[in-house]
Amino acid sequence: MKFIASSSALLKQLQNISGVINANNVLPILEDFLFDIDKNRLTIVATDLETVMKTEMQVEAKDNGRVCIPAKILIDSLKNIPEQPLTFNIDKNYSVEITSDNGKYKVMGENPDNFPKDPTADDASGFTMTSSALVTAINKTLFATSTDDLRPAMTGVYFELDKKGIQFVATDAHRLVRYKRTDVSSPNTDTFIVPRKPLNLLKSALPDNEDEITINYNTNHFFVIHGTTQMSCRLIDARFPDYKVVIPSENPYRLTVNRTEFLGALRRVSVFSNKSTYQVALNISGSELQLAAQDVDFSFEGNERMKCQYNGEDLVIAFNAKFLIEMLNATDSDEVYMELSTPTKAGLIKPVDQEENEEQLMLVMPLMLNQ
Amino acid sequence: MDAFYASVEQRDFPEYRDKPVVVGGPPEGRGGVVATASYEAREYGIRSAMSSKTAQRLCPHALFVFPRFDVYRSVSRQIHDIFHRYTDSIEPLSLDEAYLDVTADKRGIGYALEIAKEIRLAIKEELALTASAGVSVNKFVAKIASGMQKPDGLTFIGPSKIEAFMEQLPVEKFHGVGKVTAGKMKNMGLHSGADLKKLSEAALVQHFGKPGKFYYQIVRGIDERPVESDRETKSVSVEDTYQEDLTTKEAMLGELELLTEKLAERLSGYGLKGRTVTVKFKFHDFIISTRSHSLVTSFNDHSRLYDTVRIIMDKTDLTGKKVRLLGVGLSNFDSSGGQSGPQQGGNQLRLF
Repeated sequence: MKFIASSSALLKQLQNISGVINANNVLPILEDFLFDIDKNRLTIVATDLETVMKTEMQVEAKDNGRVCIPAKILIDSLKNIPEQPLTFNIDKNYSVEITSDNGKYKVMGENPDNFPKDPTADDASGFTMTSSALVTAINKTLFATSTDDLRPAMTGVYFELDKKGIQFVATDAHRLVRYKRTDVSSPNTDTFIVPRKPLNLLKSALPDNEDEITINYNTNHFFVIHGTTQMSCRLIDARFPDYKVVIPSENPYRLTVNRTEFLGALRRVSVFSNKSTYQVALNISGSELQLAAQDVDFSFEGNERMKCQYNGEDLVIAFNAKFLIEMLNATDSDEVYMELSTPTKAGLIKPVDQEENEEQLMLVMPLMLNQ
Repeated sequence: MDAFYASVEQRDFPEYRDKPVVVGGPPEGRGGVVATASYEAREYGIRSAMSSKTAQRLCPHALFVFPRFDVYRSVSRQIHDIFHRYTDSIEPLSLDEAYLDVTADKRGIGYALEIAKEIRLAIKEELALTASAGVSVNKFVAKIASGMQKPDGLTFIGPSKIEAFMEQLPVEKFHGVGKVTAGKMKNMGLHSGADLKKLSEAALVQHFGKPGKFYYQIVRGIDERPVESDRETKSVSVEDTYQEDLTTKEAMLGELELLTEKLAERLSGYGLKGRTVTVKFKFHDFIISTRSHSLVTSFNDHSRLYDTVRIIMDKTDLTGKKVRLLGVGLSNFDSSGGQSGPQQGGNQLRLF
């Protein structure tokens, strides 16, 4: 088997899907790309058994064939080869020889029959949306997922589909974010949980533009198609917590702040906080917001004050500054407001301005103050 | 369980039965390693952790099978369900091995040997797999006994036979005796339990350190360790041995930073927070030394682990030392799990 491909075009395709490959694998073949040539069309596949990524490109080839090529060495070599057509020669023992203007490189490939088969979209339902809508939804939710494998339901983003729109929900039991879009819809009412890793891969593989993407799903798998790039992954087989009951409907006090000022103050003060809790206490009184953090182990202390609008009783409430910073980063509005009630109840964060067909809600539990 | 992974494969795929089956990575390409070999494959000298290439050289017609860990895990759960019919005091050692304290005896059978027979029968009839069991008065002897008549064996070592049994046991079979200690013992002319028994407790401790105490007891058939059904983790640590000895603090700090990252990941996986960080050094002459430091509040994040490691390194004089191994561990865990220390607030409230 023999084919000729542009070095830079090939590298671009490989880098688009290589993120799926784990560093340490039980099965050595998972460190390979599967190359499949069918009439001048090269399909490249990478998988970690849970997530499969696939891409296509044109090459010059006389005959069809398949081979597995070790991913790391191939990418490392292509990175250092200036743009040029490269000739790949594969013999019957799956030994791969790459010929460039500079010389010849050899690597042992593997039998393509040992490469895992990818899931098929049997009985799948689907809908379409813009690439940027999915990327935005991932950016606004993924950070709040849990890494606790003991509660698998929370280690992914929960998709709630119906005719009126789509909701994306993520939580780690301490905070929760919900991002709703009404300009996207699905003919069926369904819910499923997509794991973190494939969403992270999509975030970098998908362009942030108006390209249309197709999303299909069945009971076990999730499929995303963008042009010649495809991703499929296993869904998380667990029940998402009943999150609606924890969203407070009436938090009487409203604190409105400039987002960038608040973010700056939190970043500076949290440097001096305890590095396991990142506790920053917010002391709100009238139109003044004080932020305070300390770390008794290292005798650190950080204090700041800033202007705010507040309509409630004086309140001292503490939060994990990291949570607040991540949430404030996940919204674009110049001003945000927090809806609060007591120092032990959840606070809501919402943007003051948002697009007509989007609705973002963030929820964070405080840290208990021992005083 | 006997050749657990391989037996499950032979059970689920009749075409593998009576054939040398190797569960693990395939020998082709860069090759994997053997996880478990069936008894047919063991006849060719194939052992766990051997490279699959070597295994294939020993037995060219061996069948190589990819492991199906989810299946093994679910079979393991089924085995535990069977155990639970007889006792809830179960201490798992791995997916296919566990200590059972049958003094609880939920079914009122009355004889440990009878319980072992019933469990083995249930495993055979319900799961079509074979297990080997060892029955005795303590964990150490039971474990050794379980390995004596593999596969599909049941060995009983009663109180009256224990001392004689321990005396004939080669030293390397003793719990905690690895290659190094066994070599040391043999150099001293200690080859069996009987030889160890001749030494006083003080002499054993003098030669082998703390474990000497344990050897003194165990060789007399005394092992008071209880079967711990949910063993509490007391410390979590990671370590690495380096190809070339580290001679500068900068190089060590660089490696320690990587180790603390790994440690932080492992700790958050277990959901454990602790207050004491320990750094372990093994020098080029194999002498091991450890240094610890405790903070007021508990933590498990990378930045604190590394800050504390730096405090330890600042206090430790390593001039002229060559370090071949570094380790970092965290201990002194909160009993309540994840709560913070007494002085600072920081109790994160939960939504669910």
